Amino acid sequence: MPKVIIDGKEFIAKENETVLNVAERNGIYIPRYCYHPALSIAGNCRMCLVEIEKMPKLQIACATTVTDGMVIHTQTEKVKKARQDVLEFLLLNHPLDCPICDQVGECYLQDYYMEYGLKKSRIDLKDKNRKPKRRDIGKHLILDNERCILCTRCVRFCEEVTKTSELFINSRGDHSFIDIKTEEKLDNDYSLNIADICPVGAFTSKDFRFKERVYRLSSTSSICLSCATGCKIKVQHNNGKIYRILPDPNIYTNTWICDNGRMSYKITAGPDRLTKSIIKSEEHHLNKAIIKLFDILKEAKEKNLKIAILLSDYLSIEDNFALYYLGFEILKTDLIYASKEKEQKIEDGILINKDKTPNSNAVSQISKLYGIKKYEDLKDCDLLIGFYDDIEKLNIPKNKSVALSYKADKEYDNLIAIKTYFETEGSFINWQYFLRKTAPSVSAPTDTISVYDLCLKISELFGYYPKEKELNKIFNELKYKTED
Amino acid sequence: MNILLNDNFDLKTYITNGGYNALKKSFTLKPEEIIEEVKKSGLRGRGGAGFPTGLKWSFIPKTKTQKYIVCNSDESEPGTFKDREIIHKNPHSIIEGMIIAGYAIGASKGYFYIRGEFAREARIMEKSIYEAKEAGYLGKNILKSGFDFDIVVVRGAGAYICGEETALLESIEGKQGKPRIKPPFPAVKGLYGCPTVINNVETLASVPYIVIYGGENYSKIGVEKSSGTKLFSVSGPVKKPGVYEIPLGLSFKTFFYDWLGGMKEGEELKAVIPGGSSVPVITAEEAMNTKLDYESLQKIGTMLGSGGMIIIPKSQCMVELLYVLARFYHHESCGQCTPCREGSGWIEKTLNKILNYKAKKQDLDLIVDISNNMMGRTICPLADALAMPVISFVQKFREEFESHIEGNCKICGK
Repeated sequence: MPKVIIDGKEFIAKENETVLNVAERNGIYIPRYCYHPALSIAGNCRMCLVEIEKMPKLQIACATTVTDGMVIHTQTEKVKKARQDVLEFLLLNHPLDCPICDQVGECYLQDYYMEYGLKKSRIDLKDKNRKPKRRDIGKHLILDNERCILCTRCVRFCEEVTKTSELFINSRGDHSFIDIKTEEKLDNDYSLNIADICPVGAFTSKDFRFKERVYRLSSTSSICLSCATGCKIKVQHNNGKIYRILPDPNIYTNTWICDNGRMSYKITAGPDRLTKSIIKSEEHHLNKAIIKLFDILKEAKEKNLKIAILLSDYLSIEDNFALYYLGFEILKTDLIYASKEKEQKIEDGILINKDKTPNSNAVSQISKLYGIKKYEDLKDCDLLIGFYDDIEKLNIPKNKSVALSYKADKEYDNLIAIKTYFETEGSFINWQYFLRKTAPSVSAPTDTISVYDLCLKISELFGYYPKEKELNKIFNELKYKTED
Repeated sequence: MNILLNDNFDLKTYITNGGYNALKKSFTLKPEEIIEEVKKSGLRGRGGAGFPTGLKWSFIPKTKTQKYIVCNSDESEPGTFKDREIIHKNPHSIIEGMIIAGYAIGASKGYFYIRGEFAREARIMEKSIYEAKEAGYLGKNILKSGFDFDIVVVRGAGAYICGEETALLESIEGKQGKPRIKPPFPAVKGLYGCPTVINNVETLASVPYIVIYGGENYSKIGVEKSSGTKLFSVSGPVKKPGVYEIPLGLSFKTFFYDWLGGMKEGEELKAVIPGGSSVPVITAEEAMNTKLDYESLQKIGTMLGSGGMIIIPKSQCMVELLYVLARFYHHESCGQCTPCREGSGWIEKTLNKILNYKAKKQDLDLIVDISNNMMGRTICPLADALAMPVISFVQKFREEFESHIEGNCKICGK
């Protein structure tokens, strides 16, 4: 193990580790633009220059491998001057219009300017190079070539991660600019990651730009439910509104997230969000809706009608078990169904799973443990409670159903407005068998309820008061991993 | 060299004058013995950097993996036109040098990377390679030695930067010519990820001589650390401009008066760029007191470079000249590293203002400052290649720049 001295302190480095990585691991931050931990080394921005004893020139920390006994300085006047100079070059042809740029607050140029720059521009405004602006480059992205610092993170992302290679650097020298190779657009399934990794305001997300300043956003760690991969995400929100989803890079599951997952927050505030429950085609406030639903169930039970319950791969473990409890213990029905086991694999070699449901790993376990029937066995019933998406897929007569839904749908007589997992907690087991929880980042519309609470309330109306322990016992029976 | 013979580019002429004897001799030697001879000769890279050739060859790992030898003929530095002369007049010496180099490092394939503008020269090389192949000097089992070697001519697309060895490799691989980060050096990871030696045309053309006459004899030419002969391509208003082969260590004075015949009538020597446009300029006085070898030129703060000597007369405005250079380097910057990409354009813009009497007083210090900020902070030396002339021009001819700022240049009269 090589020993190195950085800024007077001795550190033990790993074999073939770069100066930047050793420093970072030990809490010494070296500024950078082109370096990204998940991409190859480009070494072109020259921001991470450091002084290494016995080397005549400054070296880039991102590409220099440590050797035993290396003495590195990251804070000398020579290094600071170099950073200041590189920054001056980067800002030379950069527009000076931060107030109207959407990157404000998460811009590396701004951050380092405050630390190393603070110099007046030495070039006349009219001498600045002009480049294409506001280019509609793909389904999700806008490209401003003038703000670009040509760090090539985006080019490398498309080459190395998505392997779609849509982007390249066109032309040379100070007239070079990021361009798209074909007439087609940049719309691979992961394109929005480019807006994240772009250290400046060159690539911005069409969905997010100019909606909210990033420094006003709060972040909540959660998980993405768009498929069985279950990526860790950061949900960013302000004043009860979600503005965007970012990946929460981790060694277990994901560095990036797909565009589909990023857009999944739209269910919380879309125009078709179901905010009030509908019973017998009439809209009701929450409490009234619960009582109406109870009445329906009570009547059905008294008449000995066949009530079916659908467990759902889209719902959390808690919600599924509460549904099971409601069916089995309260309604005393054995018509409880779940989907059959799904094939799970990363189908694009990156993140997107063949199984597009977030919780089939848990639900199939519950099914086995409690001998639950499969959806295919559902032949006939008089009343059915289940998650909207499942009912849609199963082609069950809509007038017989009580759909638990985020989404308004006029064709249904009975819809219960439930909370999304951006608004309530829920546990899921992803395809790697990791148990992870969503966390509420915004509050739900007043008249919505979580499936768990709904089941609990109905039980209470039937005169049952299940203890939390009783509903949580399922966690002792499931097989899963945790991250530590 | 056979440069002065008639039909010198012909294989027949080359063979009649002892051509390919070095190759025959090489096959009687072990590869490491050849490397040893080249090391003994003290031959240094003739492309500009002056790195010892034998040492470069010895860095190639002794494994059985695929290796390559690449001949760098992307001669595009303003003022340099020596390699073109070798291609015109002695192409087989390059081919023979490449085969020997290939044999020495264990490469079975050579690439001849030639500047895009050299269309005629590319045809000459292709024809010569064909001739050599027909005669059995290239191909499988050359001269029954069991050694296979082939050469492919690759034409560039007009980028100066592709003369930088790693940008050249990128270009051969079909990518944009952008220099790679070093390490890894090409000797470890070069063309297509294989160990590769990249040598200049003139370097490889010197190899047959070294093999025939021995490294020690070659090292007797020239001076201590600068052995052998060097081609100088001389441009400017001298009586006899052109390409000259001189023993290293020759004094500039002798070269200037005895070989070049001094300045043309009515012209007076002001300055000299001794080794291609990217090296610092020296004044007439400095030039007259120096010798033409690596060390002597380094001592006075400039470099031997590629030997592209530009003679500057008193009638030439230095601002105008530097502007031409700046425009060239700005145009040729690949745009990869920030300081070079942004700095080169900035210098050109500022120099344009100085040239056209539109500059402010501080602009003169500005271009020097920009140059200093660019130097030594990029992947390849292109930033330095612009910065060094700027700094030396302003330092040595400041009054000419000041006259442009004040608005009364007597030389260019613009």
